[in-house]
Amino acid sequence: MASVQGDDDLVFHKICSLFEPLNQKGVRLTRETDFIADLEVDSVSVLDVVMDIEDNYDISIPVNTISEIRTIGDLVDAIHSIKKRQA
Amino acid sequence: MSLFEKFEKTAALYNQLSDAGMNPFTVVMETVLGPTRAVIRGKETVLAGTHNYLGQTFEPKAIAAAKEALDKEGTGTTGSRFANGTFSGHKRLEADLAAFLGMKHCVVFSTGFVANLGAIAGLIDPAEDVILIDADCHACIYDGCQLSGAETIRFRHNDPESLDKRLGRLDPKYKGKLVCIEGMYSMYGDTAPVKEFAEVAHRHGAYLLVDEAHSFGVYGAKGRGVSEADGVMDSIDFYTGTFSKALAAIGGFVASNHKELEYLRFSSRPYKFTASPSPATVASAGAALKVIKETPALKEKLWANTRRLHAALTQFGLRLAAPPAPVISVLIADRETAFAAWNFLLEHGVYVNMAIPPGTPGKDSLLRLAVSSAHTAEDLDRLVAAYGALAQAFPAARVAA
Ligand SMILES: Cc1ncc(COP(=O)(O)O)c(C=O)c1O
Repeated sequence: MASVQGDDDLVFHKICSLFEPLNQKGVRLTRETDFIADLEVDSVSVLDVVMDIEDNYDISIPVNTISEIRTIGDLVDAIHSIKKRQA
Repeated sequence: MSLFEKFEKTAALYNQLSDAGMNPFTVVMETVLGPTRAVIRGKETVLAGTHNYLGQTFEPKAIAAAKEALDKEGTGTTGSRFANGTFSGHKRLEADLAAFLGMKHCVVFSTGFVANLGAIAGLIDPAEDVILIDADCHACIYDGCQLSGAETIRFRHNDPESLDKRLGRLDPKYKGKLVCIEGMYSMYGDTAPVKEFAEVAHRHGAYLLVDEAHSFGVYGAKGRGVSEADGVMDSIDFYTGTFSKALAAIGGFVASNHKELEYLRFSSRPYKFTASPSPATVASAGAALKVIKETPALKEKLWANTRRLHAALTQFGLRLAAPPAPVISVLIADRETAFAAWNFLLEHGVYVNMAIPPGTPGKDSLLRLAVSSAHTAEDLDRLVAAYGALAQAFPAARVAA
């Protein structure tokens, strides 16, 4: 996982590992990486990866929230806030 | 020009295909010759990419009923269902559909798309309700959720356990919970385990909406859809459908045993603020419904044609998306190859539908064949021959050896 930015956040690392298979251009994944602009994945692919994230953390992330998410950092923050609410 | 910038990437592909004369999304039926034939690019072509499952586009009784309505009631209603566009024909059709489905209530909308928008957005209050949808639901179900403004949660396609988990971890603050699935899914031609979904939804106190757009008239002993085939018509809270496929007209409906369905007539903006189906449309849909009731042979013919085509395509080694169903999709991983394969079929006198990601469930592009009961033995022979040649010419369309 050489492309992953140094970051001690486990959620960040988990998300990077789930998106790595879609990272066809091999861009360096950071909190600022934009799913559509940088990774060039379509919106449905993002939704499908989010399904894996939901099952991994046993949380539900509404489609409404996902449609506001642009970057890996946005997703990390959303997961932290949902985990807190559902705890 | 920032308004148009976002279209550039898609437009480049679209124009490139059009310039090469290969764009599946700009096909024009130049002359329609019958339920399964049209002239496309100057050539008589077998239609296997429309959704004329029961071949009713030229059903004489439907045409006669439409002509009579046209003569008696005119070309259009010039009004919405709510305000000034409800004729006795709309009420009659609602009663006929409800009786056919064995349900107490039915509301007719202007299209199936609008029916789903209207049902979901009309039933849901974003302040207190939540919606759970199958990941592969049609665009109009997604858009209905968005229009409602409510929190919407996806579960894995055709996976009742995935729904169970998501219902289980819902915040107890929600008052109403609506689960949306389809009967037969139009991309792969796979069907939902409706019975299991009904059990899970009701165990959690949720309501179940099933969109049987592609399965109405096609599945179940009486043609009531996958819900009937699964023996759970009585467990469906909201049944949505369209006139645009087995009924071969244009319009849509929602049926239910909940008397509160009638509230849609004032709560649903897609019911209130768009023109109602025209008299001829309503009359032909009603006549086509009667034909479905009286002529089970149509459905039997559809399934016989389906079995023959599915078996032939399987034998050619083509990579098919699902077991036999009136939609038979060949999966091709590479989009450019899929476009070429689609054009190959058209050159061989066969029109099918083409679908590409993200409009498809997975990463593959699809050649979607929709079977009709009206496909003649000669149509089927031409389809089989064209797909046989396709399998030879396109190894990418075959199952890996
Ligand atoms: C599942 C589903 N629901 C609704 C629709 C929309 O139906 P209509 O063509 O009547 O708008 C379609 C078809 O396109 C569909 O596939």
